[in-house]
Formats: sequence, structure tokens, C-alpha cells
Amino acid sequence: MNTTTSFWLRKAGKLVLILTMVSVLAFTLVSLSPIDPVTAYIGMDRMQISTEQEQKIIERWGLDKPAPERFIKWAKHALSGDLGQSMIFNEPVTKVIGKRFTTSLWLMASAWTISGILGFIFGVLAGTNRNSLLDRSIRFYAYTLASTPSFWLGLVLLSIFSVTLGITPICGATPTGISPADATLWQKLHHLILPAATLSVIGVAQIALHTREKMIDAMNSDYALFAFAQGETRRGVAWRHALRNVALPAVTLQFASLGELFGGSVLAEQVFSYPGLGKATVEAGIRGDVPLLLGIAIFSALFVFCGNLIADVLYGVFDPRIRIGSEEAR
Amino acid sequence: MHYVKSSPNSRHMNLVFMILLGLLMLCPSIAMAKDTLTLAIKGEPAEGYDPTLGWGRYGSPLFQSTLLKRNENMKIVTDLATSYSLSKDGLLWTVTIREDAKFSDGTPLTAKDVEYTFNTAAQAGGKVDLMSLNKAEAKDATTILFTLKKTDSTFVNRFISLGIVPKASHGPGYARMPIGSGPYRMVEWNEGQQMIAEANPYYYGDAPYFKRLVFLFTDEDTSFAAAKAGQVDIVVVPQALAVQTIPGMTMHAVHSVDNRGLMFPTVPATGKTTDKGAPIGNDVTADKAIRQAINKVIDRKALVAGILEGYGSPAYSVCDGLPWFNPANTFADNDADAARKILADAGWKDSDGDGIVEKNGLKAEFTIIYPAERSIRQYLALASADMIKKIGINAKVEGKRSWDEIKQLMHSNVIVFGWGSHDPIEIYHLYSSHHAGDGYNNPGLYTNPKVDEYLDKALAAPNYEASLEYWMKSQWDGETGTSALGDAPWAWLVNLDHTYFISDHLNVGTSQVEPHGHGWPITANIEKWTWID
Repeated sequence: MNTTTSFWLRKAGKLVLILTMVSVLAFTLVSLSPIDPVTAYIGMDRMQISTEQEQKIIERWGLDKPAPERFIKWAKHALSGDLGQSMIFNEPVTKVIGKRFTTSLWLMASAWTISGILGFIFGVLAGTNRNSLLDRSIRFYAYTLASTPSFWLGLVLLSIFSVTLGITPICGATPTGISPADATLWQKLHHLILPAATLSVIGVAQIALHTREKMIDAMNSDYALFAFAQGETRRGVAWRHALRNVALPAVTLQFASLGELFGGSVLAEQVFSYPGLGKATVEAGIRGDVPLLLGIAIFSALFVFCGNLIADVLYGVFDPRIRIGSEEAR
Repeated sequence: MHYVKSSPNSRHMNLVFMILLGLLMLCPSIAMAKDTLTLAIKGEPAEGYDPTLGWGRYGSPLFQSTLLKRNENMKIVTDLATSYSLSKDGLLWTVTIREDAKFSDGTPLTAKDVEYTFNTAAQAGGKVDLMSLNKAEAKDATTILFTLKKTDSTFVNRFISLGIVPKASHGPGYARMPIGSGPYRMVEWNEGQQMIAEANPYYYGDAPYFKRLVFLFTDEDTSFAAAKAGQVDIVVVPQALAVQTIPGMTMHAVHSVDNRGLMFPTVPATGKTTDKGAPIGNDVTADKAIRQAINKVIDRKALVAGILEGYGSPAYSVCDGLPWFNPANTFADNDADAARKILADAGWKDSDGDGIVEKNGLKAEFTIIYPAERSIRQYLALASADMIKKIGINAKVEGKRSWDEIKQLMHSNVIVFGWGSHDPIEIYHLYSSHHAGDGYNNPGLYTNPKVDEYLDKALAAPNYEASLEYWMKSQWDGETGTSALGDAPWAWLVNLDHTYFISDHLNVGTSQVEPHGHGWPITANIEKWTWID
């Protein structure tokens, strides 16, 4: 068996293990949660609904069965790709996730790209010119924003740019009264600016600080010292020698940050009424929609796993020495 | 500007114009054409617009029409139905419907569709309670027979709240692309954001003034901000924001039975618990004198003025102002002397001088519980505790994080609840001893055989009109009842006004007294709304 096959087999095994654990854990947690989905569903209609009707609702959702039985039933369906029916949206879970994620994808992708690129550039600049004015200002920016909650920043940006200045829209993913299908690319981007800015402004901080550390290490390494000794300038060392070494951890970090991105978008979507997966997650949580929560948990685990996997594969691209199958070649 | 001056030829002018136009498109405060109305009134039904699961039970189903409806005076009038009658034994409804009704896809609406809607909803396990329906049966194209399992005078409310769906195209995808015979049809629903509807060309009633409706489903703060930015024509706001001003908009306050009150456990604590382990009973509130005295001393006008900013009215029952409300419930409150007398007559007096009355060594103390995230309920709990202090009753006030926590405490503590609906069945569930302690039904375990008798009679009444008398008598029959004059199992405090900012140009007609649920009910007469310049 060659190393490439065993690499993928190992990864697949890991994925199966992770998904199993995530679903068991998520189901257990949701079952232990004090939220009664039927109460949440009936809400203020409580006094118009007889106990017999309530029993009908419980039966429709299958909540009359004990938890382990429900889980096994759910798992059987899940194995065949059917994640069940969302209680609150009355639609297949896969469909809900699909729809919501398409909206979130825009937001996450733009935030991820911007924060990755800007973060890397800031980190490299700061690390190369350690203790310069530039480094200090970048550090100040990063430290301040690394500790800023994203929902708070979102509110601040919203009140400045949308309410006071009125140059960005207040809510939603498309303009009022215009359906997503008819909205122009410009209009969509216009609605994306603030939430994406919120997410990336904060995402930049993490990437910049980590990249800066790595850059400083690289600038103080033996090979950098050797290059300096041969008369290379700081910029030259940074560009020709350090960058490649710094790129590797930066890429790992960038792909590993998908989890954080997911979490951040939940908050940002809440603030900007951006109807993505984050908002659906909150809904599912408050109203005890077990199938949807499980579906989202599995989906996000898969999402983060893919991020890490891509990082692993990209290692080989950036650094041929650790390319898959390199041992054989050696 | 420099650009224009240096290149005055028309091609460049065009370019500038295009750029300006592009900027205008981006500008959020652009005024909507008058045939489009933008509403930010909350109430997005997450599970879709399927009446058989419960859509449309507040206000109008918008896309569907109902057999009957309530007019602005809460009187029952016909909509799809042309006539309706109930047999003498109260078990068989005969309803005939109009012949000219069509669904928004152009297909005719027949008795078969009505039959299908009711039978489907009865099985669906949603928020439509059709437990007393045996079956609906189409007799011919326009006549439907409904047979009931038992007499139920509240059944007529299903004719008012259940929108009729087409048998031919109702299915799994229906909730997201509804077809009905209502004044509007759906254009697009972008979940979590907005829903766009346009006038239904096949609607049998008068064509609505607004050709297009845009419902924004944003949260409260966002909606308010959007209104300030001039992007919406009507926005629902919490009472606390009603005192604000929005340029170009007027405050429209609608009376409601969306009430808040104190629920008292009416049985003593004997150590018994429910099957879920929740303790039952409270020795202090089990004494009728305590409950009556609290009712008497509370200053409801002050609560309205202080907590609701004046946007509300004193509440004396769960159904103030509805056809089944007994006017005898109303009494003069804010009367500390009368309250003290009630307590003294029942043997409560302050013998140890600590300001709190006792009876047989039991101090008049209890805890008022409210859901922590509801600020109005918190203020009401605090203010009530303050008001009853002066007659020597000491109440601790505690906020709880969730209803699930309150559920464990509601049989043994005073709870700030809020109800109010257009269906008198609510009274039955609140006060009947038959389901006492079952879920949220009668959580204080109140029992009064006379009240039970009236409630059962009301349900078994031959029709809705005849039931009204019994609903009223259950509140106060001259001797006993659920009102503050009688057993006072509740101290109803206030009815909230539902507050909306509406555009100065928008005429929404007369709004009916709204049920619990701030927002969607205002659309009950949306087809009558107009725009005035």
C-alpha cells in the first residue's frame, strides 16, 4: 500500500470517528438541554391548544419515543444521507442547510479572503521591521481588535455607516423589495460590505499576530543570518528567504481558522440580520430543533475538517520536502 | 464636476448620468412607488405559510381566505361562506360557500377543497386544534357538512382562522409556495429576510389598493433603524419605543387583549408534586382574601402610565372588551383601605409589628416569578410587589431564564403570565379544573364546581351566541366566578396596546382589538389599506 492511499484512508477513518463523536455528543447535549421544543413551538398559542392536540404534535416530531431510540432511528437515516426534517422550518435539514449556507458562503468567503491576505501582509511587514513605527501600529491594531467581540464591532459599524452616515444598508443580503434573483452583483456586494468588514477586521488580527511571530523567527534564523552576512538587505531576506517559511504556518492558520470564521459569522449574521446559516443555528438552538442542530453540528465539523485537510495537502505544494509520498521518493 | 466641464459632449454626459443612476440605486432611502407597501411587522412563520399547520391564525392568512372572519367590531361575518348553520344538537355544521372563488392559479375553489383542508389540518399535528371535529364532507360543489365528536361552541373559530388550501396542489412544498384564494399571492420568500407578495388577480373581493407588499423580517432594532432611514411604511415597535418620533411617521396604537397578570396557586402546599416533580401549592395565595386584596390594591392605571408609557389599558380579565367579556369584572382598584379590610376580615393582621401581616403564624409572603428577558413583565412584577407592600404583603421578585424553569415553579409560586386570544377556549383552559396542572392549563390548580359547570355549559352551548352568556357567567354570576370579586385566581394587571409607526400617508382603517402577538394581527384588514397623498 503506498503512502498516498494510506494518507487518505487515515483521514477518512478520522472523519468517520469525528462525525460519529460529534453526532453522539451533540445529541446527548441537546437531549439534556432543558428546552422543550413543543413548548417553544406552541408558544403563546398554549391556551388554545388542547392536551390531545399537543400529543399529536409530539407524535409528529417523534418525541414520544425515548431518546436512544430516536438517536438510532436518526442515525440510520443519516447514514443514507437523510438528516431528517427540521422542526421549525418544516423542511428537510439538508435543504435548510444548503439554502442558508449559500448565503453564508458569500460572507464567509469574502471575510476569509480579506482577512487572510491583509493579515499575512500586515504580519510580514510588522515582523520584517520589528519595533518600527509600522510594527507598533500594526500590533496596536491587532491587540485591540483581537479582544473585540465581533457583535459589538458590528453594532458600532452599523451605527456609524448605516444609521448615521446612511451609506451602507441596514439589514439583509439584498435590498428591500428586491428578490435575490433580481439583485445585481453590486447590490449584493453593497449588502455584504459591513458584515464582511466586521468579520475580516477581526480575523486580520489573529493572522497578523501569528505571522509576525513566525516572521521574526525567520528573520533571526541561521539562513537569514547567513544571507545578511552576504550583504542581503532586510527586504531581500524577507522576500527571498523568510517568506516561503512563513507562508506554511500562515496557510495552516488560515485554513484552521475556518472554525472561528463559522463562529464569527453566527454573531455577525445576528447583528446584520443576514439570513445565513448562523441565524438558522441560533433559531434551532433557542427552539430546540434537534434534527437541524445535529445537521448543523455535523456540517460544521465537516467544514472544519475539510479546512484542515486542505491545509495538510497544501503543505506539500508550498514545501516539496513534506509532500505526500516523499518518503518513497527518498 | 471637473469631469463634466472638461468633456461636455453627450457621450460623457451619459456616462455621468449612468454613474449617478448607479449611485441612486445604491442609495437606501429611495422612495418606494406608492403601489408598493413595505412592512416591518415581525411574525415570519419559520415553518411556512401552510394554514393546515397553523399559518394565519392571527389576523389574515393573506394568501388564503377563510370561511368566516371577524370584522373590526369582533362580530363574525362571512368571507368564503355565504351561509352557515348549526343543527339543534350542536353536532352538525352546514356551510355553503360562494361559487365565484378561485385560487391564485386560476383554478376554482370548491367544497372539496374545504373538506380536504379541514380533514388534513385535523391530522397534521400542527397548531390547528380540530380535536372536536369528526369529519368534514363535501355534499355538493358548494356545501360542506362538518360533523363534530362532541358539542363545541368554540368550533366556529376554526372557520375564522383556518385558511382554505387547494386539494390539487397542497403538498410538501406548499408551505413555501402557497396558493390560495386570499387578496394576495406570494412572489418570493427569502427566508430570514423578506417576503414579497402581489395582489391576487383572481381574488373575489375588492382589489386591494397596494399591488405589492414587502414584508421585512428583521429584528426589532434593525426594523426601527430601517424606519428611521425611511425604508419602511409601517413598523412594529415595543411600547418603550412608542414615545420616540420618526419623521414622516405617526404612532398608531391598537387596543389588544394581549394582557399580563399575576397567576396565583390556589391550593395549599401539602407536599404534593406533579408527575414531573414540580411542587404544588402555596399556603399564602391559597387564601382567597390574599388574592382579592391584591386585586383591590393594585393601581392598574399607574402601571399603564408608568410601565407602558400610557400605551395600554387596565386589565380586569383575560378577555377585556371581547364579546364574551363580563363588564361586571371591572371594579375600582388602587383602594388600600378596602384591601386592608378584606385581609383583616379574613384574620390577617400584623401582630409582630414588622409591617407584614400574619395569620396563624403564617407570614403573607410569596415569590413573584417572571421570564428574565421580558422587561415589561419584570417591571410589572417589581411594581406589583411594591404596591402590595403597603397592605402588608411581602413579595420577593425573581427572574428566571427560561419557561422550562418556570414550568417547575408555576404550581407553587406567583407567575407573571400573558395571554389573550380571539378564541374563548382560552378561558376554559385557564380556569377549568378538568385539565388543572396539565401543562400550562390552569397552573394554579383553581377549582370551583360552579365555574366548571358554566365552562362546560359554554362549550356545550348550541352555538357561539348562546355560549357567550356562560363564558360571562363563569367570570361573575352575581355570587361567584373567576373575577376579582369572586375567587380571584388571577390578578389581571394590564392590556398592552400594540404600537406601530405608520407612514403619514398610510391609512390602515379601523384595527380590531388584537390578540396576544404583536405584529401580524394588524394585517387583518390589509386589503382595505390605502395611500393618501
